[in-house]
Amino acid sequence: MMRFLAISLLASLFLVSCSLKTTEGLRQVSTEITEIENPYFSNPEIDYVYKAKIEIYGKNLGGIVIIKKIGKKNHRVVFTTEFGSKLFDFEFEGDTFTKNYMLPDLDKKFITNILRDDFKLLINENMMVSEAFNSENYSVFKTEMGNRFVFYFFGNAENQLQKIIKTSKTKEKVEIDFTSTEENIAETIAIKHNNIKLKIDLEKFKKE
Amino acid sequence: MRNTISIFILLFSIVFANAQETAMNASEMASFKEKVISEAKKTKTIKTDFVQFKHLDFLADDVKTSGKMAFKSPNLVKWEYTNPYQYSVIFKEDQLLINDGGTKSKVDIGNSKLFKKLNQLIVNSVKGNMFNDADFKVTFYKSSKYNKAVFVPKDSKIATYIASFELLFNKDDAQVYEVKMVEPSKDFTRIVFSNRVLNSNIDDAVFSN
Repeated sequence: MMRFLAISLLASLFLVSCSLKTTEGLRQVSTEITEIENPYFSNPEIDYVYKAKIEIYGKNLGGIVIIKKIGKKNHRVVFTTEFGSKLFDFEFEGDTFTKNYMLPDLDKKFITNILRDDFKLLINENMMVSEAFNSENYSVFKTEMGNRFVFYFFGNAENQLQKIIKTSKTKEKVEIDFTSTEENIAETIAIKHNNIKLKIDLEKFKKE
Repeated sequence: MRNTISIFILLFSIVFANAQETAMNASEMASFKEKVISEAKKTKTIKTDFVQFKHLDFLADDVKTSGKMAFKSPNLVKWEYTNPYQYSVIFKEDQLLINDGGTKSKVDIGNSKLFKKLNQLIVNSVKGNMFNDADFKVTFYKSSKYNKAVFVPKDSKIATYIASFELLFNKDDAQVYEVKMVEPSKDFTRIVFSNRVLNSNIDDAVFSN
């Protein structure tokens, strides 16, 4: 009896640590939707300009993030200081990544990779759906990106994209939260990492 | 006929554009420098509003921010952005004091030669007095509206950040009214000053975070 208890306890612990927190409390549903869209950076007419606050291992860094759709599958992402000098200038074309510029002091492979992956996740427009889930508040779509999974949470009430979570098989890696009052415009964006102490907060420039 | 007119307009505008700005000759340069330096010496404090335009080639509009700047001799500077967000930087001795919408931080620039150089550039460009800077090659231009000094870095490290640096001066009082920083990519930042008040009393407390 004791042995059985011990095994079940271990087994349940193992199962809990193995299962992905993202889909907890969601029920899997069948769906006819094969592709979902992140609408927040999809209009080539709009200059998307945000004040950025970055918190990295307790240090603060500010700047301006500028995102523009410059082609059918192309996005330009530029980060400048408040004074306007460029810290980095990235271009994404589908899965092709080009680093147009990076401040020499920042130009380290591991920093570039994190920023590339974060902004790729943020601007990625169309994703193929592999599974769908539902809850009272959200319709959730699971997609695949390389060896990672990306979950898109759409609010049921207003059918707006509210959250993106990138995971491995067992762990949440990065979460992006959006707030939006105007259709297809993200007012605030919060990018949080679970495995490193990095948080990027973006707030859209107010209209004059 | 229509073609002739357009060609005429085109030619005329080229001539006109050339006529607008010409290089200064040696004596113009000498008297201009002297005026700027003597004005800078008299300047103990400056308070001014500014509008900053960040030009990126791929954008429809320049990114516009604005705020206030305060300078107190010899080297206290505060840049304060108030629109569309609150952000200020104080250049004080070997430190940058930053207030990013309530989040305060400090950056030590004591060990960074490059940062010191940039700081010195900012202070000197506000005053306009940076003609003797050995790190830049300076050329001078004039037009009916302004005098202009263009600084090109000699140092290759600085040149990776700034391709050139332009200061526009009022003709009458020799004050800087516009700063333009051109990046190696040709994208640029333009800062236009307005409502300048010289030598009013500015409390030291303005320069603390």
